[in-house]
Amino acid sequence: MKNNIIILGGGQAGIYAAREIRQNDSKSNIKILGKENLLPYERPPLSKDFLLDKKKEEDLYFHSSEVLKNENIEFENISINKVDFENKKLFSKNDNVYSYDSLLISTGSENKKLTLDNNLKNDIYYLRNLEEAKKIKEIVSNKNKITIIGGGFIGLEIASSLSQLQKKVIVIEIGNQLMGRIIPKQIADLVQNTHIEHGNEIILNKQIEKITKKNGDYEILLNDNSLIETDFIIAGIGSTPTVKLFENTNLKLDNGIVTNQFCETSIKDVYAAGDVSNFYHPFYERNMRLESYQHAQNHGICAGKNIAGVKTEYTSIPWMWSDQFNLNLQLTGICDEYDEIIERGNDINNGVIYFFLKNNKIRGACGVGIIGKVGRDIRITSKLTEKDTIVDKQILSDQNLKLNKLIQK
Amino acid sequence: MSEENWIEVGTTDSIEEEDLIRFDHQDKTFCVYKLTDGFYATDGICTHEAVHLEDGLVMDDEIECPMHQGIFNIKSGEALSPPACEDLKTYPVKVDNDKIFIKID
Repeated sequence: MKNNIIILGGGQAGIYAAREIRQNDSKSNIKILGKENLLPYERPPLSKDFLLDKKKEEDLYFHSSEVLKNENIEFENISINKVDFENKKLFSKNDNVYSYDSLLISTGSENKKLTLDNNLKNDIYYLRNLEEAKKIKEIVSNKNKITIIGGGFIGLEIASSLSQLQKKVIVIEIGNQLMGRIIPKQIADLVQNTHIEHGNEIILNKQIEKITKKNGDYEILLNDNSLIETDFIIAGIGSTPTVKLFENTNLKLDNGIVTNQFCETSIKDVYAAGDVSNFYHPFYERNMRLESYQHAQNHGICAGKNIAGVKTEYTSIPWMWSDQFNLNLQLTGICDEYDEIIERGNDINNGVIYFFLKNNKIRGACGVGIIGKVGRDIRITSKLTEKDTIVDKQILSDQNLKLNKLIQK
Repeated sequence: MSEENWIEVGTTDSIEEEDLIRFDHQDKTFCVYKLTDGFYATDGICTHEAVHLEDGLVMDDEIECPMHQGIFNIKSGEALSPPACEDLKTYPVKVDNDKIFIKID
């Protein structure tokens, strides 16, 4: 039977779902509706190699239009502004109607915005999409002293790139450590030292009271009455799932679209994947929402299988990375459920990893080191976590002992 | 093919099974692997971003980049998992008297 499958959201989860559906179903119509007039592209380089001019726009696309054409996947640039789940229809602004048999929602997430005076709204820049990255890249070429509001991954990656472009960078973070939402303080402090060594100024524990425009530049007043003068401001203060379209519908929402381990939502034939989905993880026996490259890809693939009728549980152990200066930081699993922490290494040149254990099994780990130094161990850790292995703590804590000894085949 | 294209990279006992060594020659870096059925060689730098694969994880017939988990088949060089999309170049390997040689073009 030929079905109409619509994928709402033209990001990474959407494109991977589309290709996975096609692999399992040669007949159905597959259409991606994307808000940006661009084929799905990789976002991680936007804050790094794209700003540094090491990657161009054409390097970012997951697949060419040829690939989509060959696989008979349609892509349409359109904004949907109404959903009728009962009659399985989507409506665009100009009243185009899109009927579906199965719907995947992969609308992603959007940046939180600072609450500011209206006259400053256009003065603060955010980075999520290619258009914003292009704007920032163009403008910073004429700026020297740049302030980043928010010391999370995105802010710090931008800070690292701008420093490499010889800019004076100040990072203001409200919390008492960088990347505080998910990264252990010990690791955050190592990253902070690297920023400082490269000349970036890191201000912790400070709130912004007021931003004033002055002759084209800005004055930022902090809650300790200190004043920062700057000529450009970028904010990275977190994100929220893109669910506005569904707020007055029957779709169950709670920090995103609630889905089970099969990417199914509360409405039949409606699936959700990627950043927008608050999904049930059977291994951790709880719901979670993740914003990462690996998750968008694997969750999209899993949704694609389920939409095509290949019932598949999503059991991927979370994994994410951040590259700042010559550091590569990696996180696997979850690091907020533990009864013991084990440390491996203490020198950033050889890599430092913190393992979070519960009942002698790894639940998650976070590591940082010069590029290449923690990846292998973090990957092995993901496998140990997935296999629910009881680990030898002596091996975990001794960098001279190889972790792959712990993998039981 | 002339004999001088075969370059000695080490001895067979210098690599543990399911592991690799890095070998630098002139301005190029290679990885030489010991898998259950023999020795293999590829370029030593990931095709995604310039990071050495020597720190990557060898599992079965695959090498996984330590930076972003791009995965390549060691025997064919095929890029198996994003973000890697460009294949890794592979090189012929031979063993002679416990010495490993790779053929560089």
